[in-house]
Amino acid sequence: MSLCQNRLQEERKQWRKDHPFGFYARPQKNSQGVLDLKIWECGIPGKEKTIWEGGLFKLVVTFPDEYPTKPPKCKFVPPLFHPNVYPSGTVCLSILNEEEAWKPAITIKQILLGVQDLLDDPNPESPAQAEAYNMFKRDRVQYERRIKQIVRENAAP
Amino acid sequence: MEQLPLPTSLAEVEALIRALYQRNPPETISKIQEVLHRLQRSPEGWQLAQSLIAHREDNIRFYAALTLIIKLNRDSSGLSEDDARGLLENIIGWTIQSLSDGAGNFVIKKLCTALVTYFMHFSHLWPNCIRHFIYCLDLGRGTPADSLDDALSAEILVGKLGPQRLKVAIWFATSFVEEVGKTDMSAPKFIQVHDRLVKNGPDVTCLLARGFSMPEDSPDLKTQGEALGCFQAWILYAQRASPIPDLVAPLRQLVGPAINCFADGDLFHATAELFSDALGNYSSFFTDEHYNTLASLFESPWAAEHYQRTLHGNHEEDGISFGLVILAYGDAKVQDLMRSTDGRSQRFLESLSGLLAADGYLVGEDSIFVPALEFWSTFIETMIDSTYSDEEESQNWKPYAEQHLKTVVMNCWRKIQWPPAETFAEWDSTERVAFGDARKDVTDMLQSVFTLEGMRLVSFFTHLFLQALAAQSWAELEASAFCLGALSDCISDEARFDQELSKVFASPFFDLLGQAQGPIPLRLRQTGLALIERYCEYFERNAQYLPNALNLLFAAVGDSVLGGPSARSISTLCSSCRSILTSEAGAFISHYQTVRGSQVLDSLAEERIVLAIASIIQAIKDENQRLGVFEELYNILKKDFELAVQLKANPGLLNLQHPDFLRGLDPPNPQSAPPTEEIALQIALRSMRCLASIAKGMQDVKEYPVDLDSEPQSQNANSRLAGLQENIMRVLVEVQRVFNTSGEVVEIICNIFRAGFSETEPGPFVFPPNVVTDYFVQQRFETPRVGTLLSTACSFVGSLYRGPKAYVPEQLARLLPWVISILQALPEPEADTEISLNGIAFTDKVMSKYPDVLFHPHHAHLLEFFFLFSIKVLDGNEPLPKGAAAEFWANFIPLTTSPTIIATAPADLKATIANAMAHLGPLIAATLVRNVGGHAARSELDKLCEPLKKLVATHPAAQGWLQGALFSGNEGEGNNNGVGVGEGGAGGGGGGFPGAERVGGEERMAFLRRVVA
Repeated sequence: MSLCQNRLQEERKQWRKDHPFGFYARPQKNSQGVLDLKIWECGIPGKEKTIWEGGLFKLVVTFPDEYPTKPPKCKFVPPLFHPNVYPSGTVCLSILNEEEAWKPAITIKQILLGVQDLLDDPNPESPAQAEAYNMFKRDRVQYERRIKQIVRENAAP
Repeated sequence: MEQLPLPTSLAEVEALIRALYQRNPPETISKIQEVLHRLQRSPEGWQLAQSLIAHREDNIRFYAALTLIIKLNRDSSGLSEDDARGLLENIIGWTIQSLSDGAGNFVIKKLCTALVTYFMHFSHLWPNCIRHFIYCLDLGRGTPADSLDDALSAEILVGKLGPQRLKVAIWFATSFVEEVGKTDMSAPKFIQVHDRLVKNGPDVTCLLARGFSMPEDSPDLKTQGEALGCFQAWILYAQRASPIPDLVAPLRQLVGPAINCFADGDLFHATAELFSDALGNYSSFFTDEHYNTLASLFESPWAAEHYQRTLHGNHEEDGISFGLVILAYGDAKVQDLMRSTDGRSQRFLESLSGLLAADGYLVGEDSIFVPALEFWSTFIETMIDSTYSDEEESQNWKPYAEQHLKTVVMNCWRKIQWPPAETFAEWDSTERVAFGDARKDVTDMLQSVFTLEGMRLVSFFTHLFLQALAAQSWAELEASAFCLGALSDCISDEARFDQELSKVFASPFFDLLGQAQGPIPLRLRQTGLALIERYCEYFERNAQYLPNALNLLFAAVGDSVLGGPSARSISTLCSSCRSILTSEAGAFISHYQTVRGSQVLDSLAEERIVLAIASIIQAIKDENQRLGVFEELYNILKKDFELAVQLKANPGLLNLQHPDFLRGLDPPNPQSAPPTEEIALQIALRSMRCLASIAKGMQDVKEYPVDLDSEPQSQNANSRLAGLQENIMRVLVEVQRVFNTSGEVVEIICNIFRAGFSETEPGPFVFPPNVVTDYFVQQRFETPRVGTLLSTACSFVGSLYRGPKAYVPEQLARLLPWVISILQALPEPEADTEISLNGIAFTDKVMSKYPDVLFHPHHAHLLEFFFLFSIKVLDGNEPLPKGAAAEFWANFIPLTTSPTIIATAPADLKATIANAMAHLGPLIAATLVRNVGGHAARSELDKLCEPLKKLVATHPAAQGWLQGALFSGNEGEGNNNGVGVGEGGAGGGGGGFPGAERVGGEERMAFLRRVVA
């Protein structure tokens, strides 16, 4: 088995054993019902006591063949209104960037927790979409109202 | 922080150490730590350690040991080999001394760590550290390492140790492998250290063998417990370092003695932990013989007793260690177990499937279910892989394995049943979420089982469903419906399962579900309604059940719990079955109107319902009929808009008894009534969101080809459509006018437009291009969310490009001045990133296809502004507009050499572009040089290199421009914030590199040569 597959098996095992509250993460199944370990469907809950609380946001994590040398790509589906999420839904986060803070030792759990932290703590240094970034900077009241709307539309079951 | 003076006597040092371990304010502690650290690091540190090590107080001894570790790590290179040899003898001596004069365990353990630290620095002086340490322990004093007689085997030496000393030896062996294990095995510095550690493996084995067999082991000594911990640490090391046969072989001899520890009640948990850990992570460590021994053990009466306790005991108090061990064994041997047909394996697998049926509720009471399910999920995945890879071979074992699957599925079905509501209410949120997560895990497992069992699994659940229905056993019925729902992803699009599913959907269950005051509990209603949503495709094929299903859903729309999910189901169902439902559109509208008239719906639920209705309307074939029904729906909302506008003008109208006004309360039950103006705005916003949902619902799901060269159709051949569009536009503009400070209104209007942009066929929201342009050009800079308007304008241009060409230039020529005017109104280019980004993107889009529009003589003054504006942005600090500016310039720079321009553009256009470039070249070169030279962030460089590459590749003058920029020095530093930069000023920045004084002329030239080459 390739390094990538091996590592993903292990990640899956670890995730099943221990995962943070309210999250889910599971490899997708192909049409025959067989698992595709390289594409995971994940759910990121909004953190308690933040405006994101109560929301559950679907994230698709795609692992390249070179994983874990190279980081996976995380994409909100549908794209999320957030300063550090590209209009395509892809998350802009240093630990997911090969040239920045990615390290092969970073686990899926750490990634998902990192993305959860990012929700309420956007990084204005790396804007990825103008709409959310601009509103975040210029009109915080409107920004928070918008987030609350989004949380309602993506309420955790 | 003020430093304490260095102590001048040993007594002072001792006093400081005592103070360190007493309760003191944090700042005092840090001051003491600081001065002690200074002392430890000083050359006198060795002396200090030695003087304190024999102290009668444990804390001071501990500190002495710590000092030794620090000195070893910092200053061992300063020791001669002789000094080092002496030091070892001393530390060993001190350790033995501490043991004999009754020092605390933590002191002795710290000294063991000091010995390990010594080994890491001087492993060449102490290669047989384990045997030598045991030897010294036996002698009762430290001796030189080379005095160890090779003839004295570890076995003999260990045999002579008393229990106390044996325990210290085990502590050392544990710390040894743990500490060395923390270092990088492949680092050149540590390769030898690890090699020498491995060579000690056989001695450790002797030591632990004796530790396991201490006949006189007393509870206070717990030698066997220490041996287990040490063994586990060595296995972990062997796993990380594997494969090292020289280490694994001796360690394996200890498995038998370790298994014997299971029988000791005190050691049971530690032993179980060791085995679950090692079996789970390092199954190849164990030999067939070990596995056999374990398998026999699991068949013993002792195991039966533990198994029963796992099934019926209290998991919180007694733990689930035994269950975890057998699961880890199963995991390690999953391939063999799956293929085995013998009695022992079958019995073992039975016990594992039995773990899914322990007493108590998930997960708060029954904590073995989730790990057991994990094992079975692995088992099933292994089955799938093996079945696909060797179908013939699988025929032998598959019937046996399938028997177990049956039990697994049945046990899971029982386990996921909801507890009575009052029990659930007592759970805390963690327990509730864990219960839900476990149900999700079961969903995953069932989908895998489906891969193997197909129709049989579906029938299994439909059978359970009907049985539970007949018995009115609601929890079982819910679980059956839930499991069937879990399979929907696998079967809903295949007609061959319909017959089976019809047993469920034609059952009286759905009649019961429809009775508002019926017997069905809330959970079951939820699952029942969700089942309808999940089998959307089934209803598409079996339209006879659809109206009934939708009626059920509509009836639940007003419910506070079921309303949201029902509305979602309605929208999914209506959207995918739209063409079957067209005749129902009128009925659904009246249904909607009735519900609205009697209560205030949840706003999100309402949006979903109108979206659902709109998607049915969209599928009505006859245009007039379609528009008629649409108007009926639209008119409901139109009344809301009118009401909102009237209420704003005349607050006295407010009547909070009436649902039409109550719609304006957000949240629905505020503590005090908000101002009437706010209520009016919320009424408008709510209905605007509904209108946007309708626009989305009206989008066609099919795609039609577009003839780009066709003539523009005579606008809206259908006058009814034209009338409707006019009306909608008028209403939107009016709402925006009345609520002119609301950004949300603008945002929603943009969403409504966008819904139409993607359409190729006429429709109420597919406005004629002129109408859209009219709307845009009336918006001022002061309009809230003007950045969003610009981004919508970009989408609009995109949609124009996908349609007939003949429309396009006229719209672009009207929009361009508007867009630029908004940019001009910005107090500075980066004041609003959304505006600058989209303004630049818009202009870039125009240039990409219609350069003649952009470079039209009429627009010359606009363009002049825009060029300088975008250079300024390129030189700015906002990543997003900066990126857009880089892209714009990367497209503009090669325009003069573009084959299309050369071939098709008229001479004056070519001349305009060439002039512009000649004029702007030096400016753009200066900006790029400044950015590449250090002003831009690393992550922006890729984008910024594009225009630079294009500049060098397409303009012979580029070298001169770049050279000029590189050597322009830092004069002209005048940071002009306005955009109207005069001749020669590089878009607001100083020329050259930001750190120009650090980069010499020759280096700049070298840089230039490389860029140009």
